[in-house]
Amino acid sequence: MLNNVFLKTLWDQRHSLMWWGIGMVAISLVTMLFYPSVSNAPELNDILSDENSLMKAFIGDIEDLTSPEGFMNSQLFFLLLPMLFLGFAVTQGSSTIAGEEEKGTLDLLMSSPISRRLVLVHKWAAMLAAIIALVAATWIGLAVGVVAVDMDISLLKVAAATLSAGFLGMAFGSFALALGATTGRRVFSIAIASVVGVTAYLIIALTPAVDAIEPARYISPFHYYSGSDPITNGLHLGHVSVLLLIATLLYALATVTFERRDLGV
Amino acid sequence: MDAVVVTSNLSKSYGSHEALKQVNLEVYKGEIFGYLGPNGSGKSTTIRTLLDFIRPTGGSASIFGLDSRQDSRAIRTRVGYLPGDMVLYERLTGGQVLAYSAALRGGVDWAYVDQLRDRLGAELSRPVKALSRGNRQKIGLIQAFMHRPELIIMDEPSSGLDPLLQQEFHEMVEEVKADGRTVFISSHVLPEVERLCDRVGIIRRGQLVTVEDVTTLRERALHRIEFHFGTPVSATDFEDVPGVQDIEVKSSVLTCTVMGSPDALVKAAARFEVIKVKTQEPHLEKVFLSYYGYEDTDAE
Repeated sequence: MLNNVFLKTLWDQRHSLMWWGIGMVAISLVTMLFYPSVSNAPELNDILSDENSLMKAFIGDIEDLTSPEGFMNSQLFFLLLPMLFLGFAVTQGSSTIAGEEEKGTLDLLMSSPISRRLVLVHKWAAMLAAIIALVAATWIGLAVGVVAVDMDISLLKVAAATLSAGFLGMAFGSFALALGATTGRRVFSIAIASVVGVTAYLIIALTPAVDAIEPARYISPFHYYSGSDPITNGLHLGHVSVLLLIATLLYALATVTFERRDLGV
Repeated sequence: MDAVVVTSNLSKSYGSHEALKQVNLEVYKGEIFGYLGPNGSGKSTTIRTLLDFIRPTGGSASIFGLDSRQDSRAIRTRVGYLPGDMVLYERLTGGQVLAYSAALRGGVDWAYVDQLRDRLGAELSRPVKALSRGNRQKIGLIQAFMHRPELIIMDEPSSGLDPLLQQEFHEMVEEVKADGRTVFISSHVLPEVERLCDRVGIIRRGQLVTVEDVTTLRERALHRIEFHFGTPVSATDFEDVPGVQDIEVKSSVLTCTVMGSPDALVKAAARFEVIKVKTQEPHLEKVFLSYYGYEDTDAE
C-alpha cells in the first residue's frame, strides 16, 4: 500500500475516509426514511407560498417539497450534501501539501528523487479518488433509502446529483489544495476555502430573494452544481465541465506556485 | 581531488535578513566534511539549499557537477539525507516508513537494511509515535544510508543517540568513507566533528569563517595553561609574551590561554622557579571560540 505517494495518501486517509463514508451513508439513508411522512403532508408546501420566504435560502427555490425530487433537493442536495462534500474536500485539499509541511514530514518526502510536480499530481489524484469514494458511499445510502421508502425516482438521476456534489467538492478541494501548496499553511487554507465556499453558497441561496445579486450567481460554483437541477434533468455537461475546469486550473496553479517557492522547515 | 559539493557565492536572504552570505564551499569525494556552527548560523539553510528545498537568492550550488536547481531530482537519487528536526510519519511503523522511502527511491537492498537495523538495534515493527527520539533517529539514519548513496548529508546526526550507538554510527560513517563515498555532517557538537571529520568548515551568521583540516585547526587551537611557581608572580611579567591572553594570576599561580606554540610563554616562565605545569588537550571548542572571538573583535 505504500508503493507511491497516491496510495500512501489514501492509506493515511483510510480511517477518516471510512468514517466519512459511514456518516454519508447514515445521513442519506436516515433522511430518506422521513420521506413517507413528508409526502403525506402536502400542507408543508404552504411554507413555499410566500414569494420571498427566507426558507428558500435553506432549502432552495423549489415548488413542491413533497415530490421525490423536491424532497431530495430540499432536504439533501441543496445544503447538507454539498456542504459535507465541501467540508471533506477542503480538509483533504488543505492537508495535501500544507499538512505534511506543517508536520515536518515534507523534508524527508522531498529528499526522495521525486519532483514536486509528481508529489502534487499524486496527492491531487488521491483527493479526487477519495471524493469519488464518498460519492459512491452517499449514493449507496440514498439508493437503499429510495428502495426502502419505495420512492419513484431514477437511481441514475440520484447518481447524477450526488456526482455533481462530488464535482463541487473537487473544485473547492482543489482551491484548498492550491492555497495550501502556495502558502504551506493548512488552517489558513481551510479558513479561506471555507469562507469562499459559504459565500458561494449564500449567493445561490439568496438570489431567488434578492434580485440585485442575480447576476452574481454565475460566478458561484454552486450554480454549476445545482443550477441545472441534476436530480430532475441528469448531468449537465456544460456545468460539470465548468466545475472540473475550475478544479483543473487550480491544480495547475498549485503546481506552478509549489514548484517555485521555498519549502517550510 | 574531485569536488562532490561546490557552492559559489551561495546566498540566501529573507527580506533584509541574510541567512547565507556568499558561501564558497568545496567538499571532496571520499572525505568526511564537518559543517560547524551554532544554532541559527545557516547550516540547515545551506543543506536545504543543496537539496533544492529552498532556492538561493544569489550564487549557485552543484553536487556531482549537477546544478542544484535544474538537476535536483538526479542529485537526490544519489544522495542520502537525514534532516535536523526529522519528523517521520507518526502513524506508520518504522518498517513502513522505510518501505515507503525505498519505494520512492527504488533499488534498495533489503539485506543491507536488515543489517543496518541489527547494527543500530532499530525497532521497526512499532508505530513511530510510540518510539523515543533515539529510536526515531535510528530509522532516520537507516533511510539515509540504505540505498548506499554517493553522498550522505546529515544535519545534527547524533542527537538523541546514546554513546554506544554513536560509536556504531561513527563506524558506519567510516565505512562510507572507506567505500570512497562522501559524508557531509553539520553539527554544533564539536567533539563529534573532531573525531569524525577530515575537514571542517565553520559557519557563523551565514558566513563561512574558515575551512581547514581538523589537524590544522588543532594546531591553531587555544591551549589553556597553568603554571605553579615557587614564588608569587605578577601579571605584568607575562603581558608582553606573544600569543598569550586571558592572564590570571593568583599569588604564585598563573593561568592563561596560548594560541599556537607555547614556546615564548615557556621561555618567559623559565625566569621563575616552575613547580608544576598543567595543560589541557586543545579542544575544537576553543578553536571555534577563537574564530568567533576574533570575529567579534574585528567587527567592533
